[in-house]
Amino acid sequence: MYFRFGSALVLVVLISLAGIALEKRNLDLRRSVTRQRFRRDVLHDTHIRMRLETQRLGAPAQTIDALESGELHVEPHGKPMLKRGARKPRAR
Amino acid sequence: MNHSLNRETDWRARAVVAVLAVIAVALGVRLVQLQWFERLAFSDRANRQRTFVESVAARPGDIVDRNGRLLATTISVRSLYANPAQIVDAAKFASDVAPLLKLDADRLAERLKQNRKKQFLWVKRRLTEKQTAKIRALEMPGEIWGFRREFLRRYPQGELAGHILGLRSIDGEGRGGVEQKLDDVLRGRNGERVLIRDARGRVIDVETESDRPAEHGRTVVLSLDAIIQLYTERELDRVMEEWRPSSACAIVVDPVTGDVLAMASRPAFDPNNPVNVLPAAWKNTAIASMYEPGSTFKPFVVAWAVDRGIITRDESFNCERGAYRMGRRILHDHHPYGQLSVTDIIVKSSNIGMAKIGERMTNRSLYEAAVTFGFGRRTGTELPGELSGLVRRLSKWDRYSTGSIPMGQELAVTPLQLITAHAALANGGKLLSPRLVLGDMEAMEEFGRRPSPMAASQVVTQTVGAEAAAWVVSGPMRGVVDRGTGKKAQLPEFTVFGKSGTAQKHDPATGKYSTKRHVCSFVCGAPADNPRALVLVLVDEPTVGTSHYGGTVAAPAASRILQKTLLHLRVPAGPPEPRTASGR
Repeated sequence: MYFRFGSALVLVVLISLAGIALEKRNLDLRRSVTRQRFRRDVLHDTHIRMRLETQRLGAPAQTIDALESGELHVEPHGKPMLKRGARKPRAR
Repeated sequence: MNHSLNRETDWRARAVVAVLAVIAVALGVRLVQLQWFERLAFSDRANRQRTFVESVAARPGDIVDRNGRLLATTISVRSLYANPAQIVDAAKFASDVAPLLKLDADRLAERLKQNRKKQFLWVKRRLTEKQTAKIRALEMPGEIWGFRREFLRRYPQGELAGHILGLRSIDGEGRGGVEQKLDDVLRGRNGERVLIRDARGRVIDVETESDRPAEHGRTVVLSLDAIIQLYTERELDRVMEEWRPSSACAIVVDPVTGDVLAMASRPAFDPNNPVNVLPAAWKNTAIASMYEPGSTFKPFVVAWAVDRGIITRDESFNCERGAYRMGRRILHDHHPYGQLSVTDIIVKSSNIGMAKIGERMTNRSLYEAAVTFGFGRRTGTELPGELSGLVRRLSKWDRYSTGSIPMGQELAVTPLQLITAHAALANGGKLLSPRLVLGDMEAMEEFGRRPSPMAASQVVTQTVGAEAAAWVVSGPMRGVVDRGTGKKAQLPEFTVFGKSGTAQKHDPATGKYSTKRHVCSFVCGAPADNPRALVLVLVDEPTVGTSHYGGTVAAPAASRILQKTLLHLRVPAGPPEPRTASGR
């Protein structure tokens, strides 16, 4: 009888420990998800700030004089630059 | 003795049992009350204490130009609040914080004292990164202050296109321009997050099941080209400096699509720093001002008369050597002319010639022409505050109108209406409503960079036949630039067509037209055989110098804008074609 009682007690304790371990793991994962969300938000903010700064520095008002005087040269949109000596692909 | 003792003990035992029973019953009743009758109320109260619904602000969407250049965006910044109820020494708090935020310490201390029972008080909103770091470095106790994240609208191009963009108030509401008109698209929808707190109010968990994420605002693509806009604004600044007018505006459109490539007004404001702005600077002159169009109206009358067969292209009119009586009124030309062809009436901008065409057309036909070219009603652009102009009812027109309307008097138009109507002539007679918003970025990517369904549908009206429109553009209007009042708009590499306008303003003191206050305008486009861009420059009341004509004040700026626009659009340059007889 003592053995049965002891076994049941051990079983209950083990189940409880497993439950606690699972709960801790669950909390860890949730914390990790929250942290990742926070990091994503911070990165998103940083991206927006850097984009803003890039656009501010590259604004036409800042570059137009240099472009017109020939100090800067910009290739047209969407046209890949050809290396010197490379042949243009034939139109099909 | 023993007997009486037992009786006394019995009595005491009964009393204790009775008291215990009463207590047990009372507790039972209270238990039933709490667990049964008031269960829901207490459960709600517990939930309220434990959970907290936090609003997750939606980030307003960006505004970009037709090439994806950023015109407006939103960054996340911190705002500082105080908890006056927890602040013991308001003067010290104020003296520590105020100098870092450029605030008045005495005033801040006063505000803290006035609100000492409150638990929340904004100290300063939207701090810079440096200010945030300095406040943190003070290491004040956490219960007396805190930061909240808020959004701050930034315009990386500065003043550029300020009137078109508008701005956002401190509470994130669109004010003026596209920000106001497309507020529902740009603003997005706030979300919600349920937080679980402990007894001390600290957040211990986030209830992810009941999360409602914020829907951020969408990115709006405008038809503007930031580079053309910049050229336009620089030229306007030059005009303002040279002629010192009360206001000026310029518009560049693609006549084939109706896209507004640039629209600028002066005086202007910087949407990043909308303080100490002149009241006049808030006004987008291009859509919210009305003027008599003057001679820029003449090509519409001629195109209509030719198209309807009222006059013929090779006809000529006697311009009476500069003075012509119409009823009680004597009309004058700037120079005396004799017999002028229809082309030369436009080229020399003869008022008498136009009045004679007006007489041939009659008021009804003149009215139909004005209405068909879109005057007297809004163009349908996506900007708030657009005026509809003024075309009086036909019943109010008289013989005076027959002479005035053909020379652009007795009606009022907005600059946008004027260029929209000229774009119709340059587009084979098809009148398109001008387009400023191409759509939202996500939808445009779906639709392969074409205007998405969000873009306002364009109304197309055939005003005059393609042949008459093309003739007016490549004949009389080209002649204006080649040898008429618009010579200053000539470009060596393009065939330019145009029309100048010099309208006298009404003088309220005398009730007559003023001889000193003028509205000078010039509209031009190129290439004449296939117009790719059209420019209007309008200068209101220039004050420097005496030669206040559209051809001298507005034409040089208009032609420089046109030249740079065409080069930017990579329109092949070609020398002007020699004029032919048919072009006259």
